Amino acid sequence: MIDISRVQKELQDCEKDRDSSGIRVCPKSDNLTRLTGTIPGPIGTPYEGGTFQIDITIPEGYPFEPPKMQFSTKVWHPNISSQSGAICLDVLKDQWSPALTLKTALVSVQALLSAPEPKDPQDAVVAEQYMKNYQVFVSTARYWTQTFAKNSSLEDKVKRLVEMGFGDAQVRSAIESSGGDDNVALEKLCSG
Amino acid sequence: MQNQNEVVKDDKVEECGNSSAECDPSFQQEEEESAKVPYVADKEPLSSLSAEYKAGSPILLQKIKILENQYIAIRRTRGDGNCFFRSFMFSYLEHILESQDRAEVDRIKANVETCRKTLQNLGYTDFTFADFFALFLEQLDDILQGSEEESISYEELVNRSRDQSVSDYIVMFFRFVTAGEIRTRAEFFEPFITGNTTVDQFCKTSVEPMGEESDHIHITALSDALGVAIRVVYLDRSSCDSGGVTVNHHDFVPVGTTNEKEVGASAPFITLLYRPGHYDILYPKPPCKVLDNVEK
Repeated sequence: MIDISRVQKELQDCEKDRDSSGIRVCPKSDNLTRLTGTIPGPIGTPYEGGTFQIDITIPEGYPFEPPKMQFSTKVWHPNISSQSGAICLDVLKDQWSPALTLKTALVSVQALLSAPEPKDPQDAVVAEQYMKNYQVFVSTARYWTQTFAKNSSLEDKVKRLVEMGFGDAQVRSAIESSGGDDNVALEKLCSG
Repeated sequence: MQNQNEVVKDDKVEECGNSSAECDPSFQQEEEESAKVPYVADKEPLSSLSAEYKAGSPILLQKIKILENQYIAIRRTRGDGNCFFRSFMFSYLEHILESQDRAEVDRIKANVETCRKTLQNLGYTDFTFADFFALFLEQLDDILQGSEEESISYEELVNRSRDQSVSDYIVMFFRFVTAGEIRTRAEFFEPFITGNTTVDQFCKTSVEPMGEESDHIHITALSDALGVAIRVVYLDRSSCDSGGVTVNHHDFVPVGTTNEKEVGASAPFITLLYRPGHYDILYPKPPCKVLDNVEK
């Protein structure tokens, strides 16, 4: 019994200030249970300049149950699994409330990028590096941002968008008409 | 090699935040226990309470005896962290169903509209709370006898209180109202919040999420926001120094209630029994005839 109309309202709400927030949510499936969230890496962090994609699944009990969120862009962060993209964040677990939204949850994820909590890690290896060898952590995180969160090759972009359920030809023309920017292309695909 | 390490560690920390209650096996057990009780159970004679404490402390047994003089029945609610709100919900709606007090419904509706504005002023997005408000108002309308439509039956009220899609929505409605009241009167509530927690954090972590238990702050805020007095009777092991055992109660009287008729004369129509960590509903004995005569 998912509250679909609520999800629809959330998408519209998110759309309203996406230019100022940089945060986007696009449906991946027609029934709105699978979505893709996009957040820009916070300025002044090793994630600056990167664009991070987050897989969102709306559970049956939404908005009483939290949305399931997982990074699909690889990211090096103590509270995010470098393997699976799983996120350790209280508002996505027991501190979730129906008063929160997909957007506020993504804002919290973005804030987590700015303020890692290595003492409550999701990825023990990254957390250990963060605490014992901070400089190495910063350069690794920055390298991962460069490698995975921007400037992906055309084939990577095509693959990603096709995986979201769009047709290959449709994706290629959208990327081309967006000057190679796959996020703009995604918006076009979502809106068109 | 690193990968291998990580997979193992990932598995281990899959449920990160080990402090969270979900990971605590004893909590799970508790949760399973509590799931056997419906959100709102059937009314039981008060003697079921003493049966529960057969081998309990003498102080508790004495206190239950005293309660038996004043109260006739108890209605248990599920111990899922929402018990205060759930008890308040049922008790209030049941009162309206029985009294058909249209003036009270009009009064609370006006308060609900104020609460809605409060949330809007605080910057809550409308769609996050609108459905919860609508569902509560809908219950009020269904419970009052209309000019053409019958009010819902007592059984239907019980059913709805046990139906997650109604019951949880109303609990969440109360949580919104409570958070709105605490945030707008932050200066008043701040001194009561313990630890290094701001009013904002308190609302985010202890009021707005479902399943977070209520204390005096929640009760005061809800009572004030909706303008409904609540009596809480305390059943615990405390006793007075003088040796005599009494059962303490506290009346939460909404701020701004100055009308004598509202405050002084009668006890609040909502009475809850508090045992450390849990709230249930208490039913007072009907006023005694002798007392009636004395008053006349």
